Amino acid sequence: MTKRALPLRWLTSEHPLPWLFPVTSLLIVFGLYPVLYSLWLSFYKRNPATRKEKFMPSWNWEKLLSDERVWDAVQITFTYAFIALTLQLVLGLTIALILDSDKRGFGVLRALMTLPLVVPPAVTGMMFLLMYDSSFGVISNSLYSLGLLSPSTPILGTGSTALWGVIVADVWQWTPFMVLIMLAGLRALPREPFEAASIDGASSFQAFVFLTLPMMSKIIALAVLIRGIDLFRIFDYVKVMTDSGPGTATETLTAYAGTVYFKSANFPYASTVALATLILVLITASLFIKIFKVRF
Amino acid sequence: MSFKRFNKQNFIVDSANKFTAGKISKRQFLKNMGLAGVGFSAYSAGLLGGNNRPFFGQMAHAAENTTPPEIADFLREAGKPYAGTTIRYTSEATPPTNVLNELKSEFTELTGINVEIEIVPLEQVLAKATQDVQGQLGTYDIYYLDQAWTSTFSPDTVDPVELYESNADLAMPGFDFDDFSKPLVEGICEYDGKWIGLPFDIPIFTLMYRKDILEKHGIEVPRTYEDFTKAVEMITAAEKENNIFGTGLQAKSGHYSLECDWTQAVWGHGGSIFGADKNFSGNDEAGIAGLEWYQNLLKNSPAASVTSTWDGQWQMGAAGQIALCQSWAEFFPGWNADDSEVKGLWEMAKPLEGSASLRSRDDVGFGEIPGWGHQGGSSIALSRYSKNQEAAWLFLQWACSKDVMTRCTLIGGFAPMRTSSYSDPRIVERKGLEGAGTTRHLDTVKWTIDNVMASEPDLAIWAGVANNEIPTELGKLLTGQDYDGSAKKCMDQIAKLVDAVVDEADLG
Repeated sequence: MTKRALPLRWLTSEHPLPWLFPVTSLLIVFGLYPVLYSLWLSFYKRNPATRKEKFMPSWNWEKLLSDERVWDAVQITFTYAFIALTLQLVLGLTIALILDSDKRGFGVLRALMTLPLVVPPAVTGMMFLLMYDSSFGVISNSLYSLGLLSPSTPILGTGSTALWGVIVADVWQWTPFMVLIMLAGLRALPREPFEAASIDGASSFQAFVFLTLPMMSKIIALAVLIRGIDLFRIFDYVKVMTDSGPGTATETLTAYAGTVYFKSANFPYASTVALATLILVLITASLFIKIFKVRF
Repeated sequence: MSFKRFNKQNFIVDSANKFTAGKISKRQFLKNMGLAGVGFSAYSAGLLGGNNRPFFGQMAHAAENTTPPEIADFLREAGKPYAGTTIRYTSEATPPTNVLNELKSEFTELTGINVEIEIVPLEQVLAKATQDVQGQLGTYDIYYLDQAWTSTFSPDTVDPVELYESNADLAMPGFDFDDFSKPLVEGICEYDGKWIGLPFDIPIFTLMYRKDILEKHGIEVPRTYEDFTKAVEMITAAEKENNIFGTGLQAKSGHYSLECDWTQAVWGHGGSIFGADKNFSGNDEAGIAGLEWYQNLLKNSPAASVTSTWDGQWQMGAAGQIALCQSWAEFFPGWNADDSEVKGLWEMAKPLEGSASLRSRDDVGFGEIPGWGHQGGSSIALSRYSKNQEAAWLFLQWACSKDVMTRCTLIGGFAPMRTSSYSDPRIVERKGLEGAGTTRHLDTVKWTIDNVMASEPDLAIWAGVANNEIPTELGKLLTGQDYDGSAKKCMDQIAKLVDAVVDEADLG
């Protein structure tokens, strides 16, 4: 046996390591390394004038805790995630119930629901930016006509409405995702309990509350978890539509990390803010999994 | 909905339908949108696949290639060893960059050196340059540097004067550094006695006004801030029903454009950004007066002002939505372009004079130069980390040579960097033009540069502060998110934030 043949034989053997190696290495390079690098970076204080970095492990973390913009961003992130998730869940389930039918044409409607999902989020942001335009935007003008808004308060330029403006774009794009998951769940439900309930005289509403919802709870929890994690990382819509403004009215944690990175070039502090977002997501997701007993 | 607005919306819809049906070009579509006052940003223009900054307007008839024979011979000879090399340059879609992008093939024909110009929004230029210098990557051979970033990037560029003197083989004959406008060199590209690049672009604040509207209401061209305020209020009151406002602003929260407007207001009221003690001074009496004046202007501007950067402000002018504007002189050629609805109606005057005298340079910090006309110039600089430094240096000299710079002005209508361009017969003869390619505003621009040009401070953290802390807090005030409308509260908060950043960088 030659020396070269030995590793080759080991690679093609049934030993688990060669089979795990490709995926593990990808995970390390693209998943673990960036996180560890960010963590390492967060232990340095950067002087933006001299560009020198000094090892001061607690500097950025202490700064993070005393930074008012971080706390505002946490609040906005939670508000954004909660409102968007609630709307997407309610709308997603409602539309799924409507589309859960074998009647002619419903298959096409279900397929059409996927269209918003293939639009890049930045393009969605641009679309809504134009629709909100105070001169000709269809949404703005409709709201002006209904007397719900005044031309002197542009949707994305007013603190009280800007966040809602961004949320609407998110809801438009991601509600279909909820619809698809809910539809998959609804169509997998067994028919027998519903037939039995019907024979017992249960109304459609009662069947929904006492059968559909309990049986769908695990699917709903999973969908909420996936979308919730995504919502905590929101960046595209904010960047394109408001650039965190007006003021900091739409500044989420990731948007703030982007500002610190791109505008102030403070890479260690930006890494710290990004890591704080990761920690926040982990804690929130873990609590959710525990409370709602999500099983994969 | 007014009939006027109804018509405008129909016009937009028709234009969009024609564009999607391929009946009109993308360029024509964007022009139509500009006329209709549609708020396309550079980003949205980018999504449509174009690179032209909207306020560029239409190009004048391309000037013929007039490269002097001795320059052409020099480039052919000097460029030989580098033929086939590709150099990269990232820039904002400023008018000079757009023109250079059109002309660069002439350089490639002479030298065989390829030039890639990557045009992105200003904040991305900053991010890309920052990443490049942080890793000393040399991805870009040439940096486009806004004047606010001069000190930030001074360690990362090669001094062109030194390079010219030390490398005679690559020194373009007759390049003439002394021909560059002295105030521009000082305000844009000189730091700590070193040239960090070559002056390339000089957007500077002047007053622009619609002569037809001023005549209609019997208003004299404003000379002072008081005159301007009165005129703006009077026009808004009289013309608001016609969707015409006294002025329009570039007050987008968190954007550098808002910071530029603010500094102009502060200097105009006798204030400054920093005091001699290197503490932020925008919260003193003069600074507060400036900001309060600006807050009042917002009441006399289109609502879109708070979501507009310079692109949006240009569109307000091109669409005939505003009557007076103290802003970038580079707007002027586009507002007078042949396809503008208000062609020939805009005129330019000297920037407004404040009632309080300007602070002297000894009374301010970090090399700030208070003045009546905010300059937002830029330079193009040779990267210290470039792997194609010789080829890039040849391009830099060609791009900033007398002939190319004069032709850039002829095509784009913006102010030249070189004093010789102003007396060039081709520039002089276009003073009589009303439409595209007019140079009738350049005397006022030159006067402003030579006499009352204001420059922001030179400190290495300025790029961050000017793009983040200041415009973000100003945005909170102007949109009512915080500070209860109190300019003083807002300025005190900015003072706290800016002084903390200065201290953190050990610059205080």
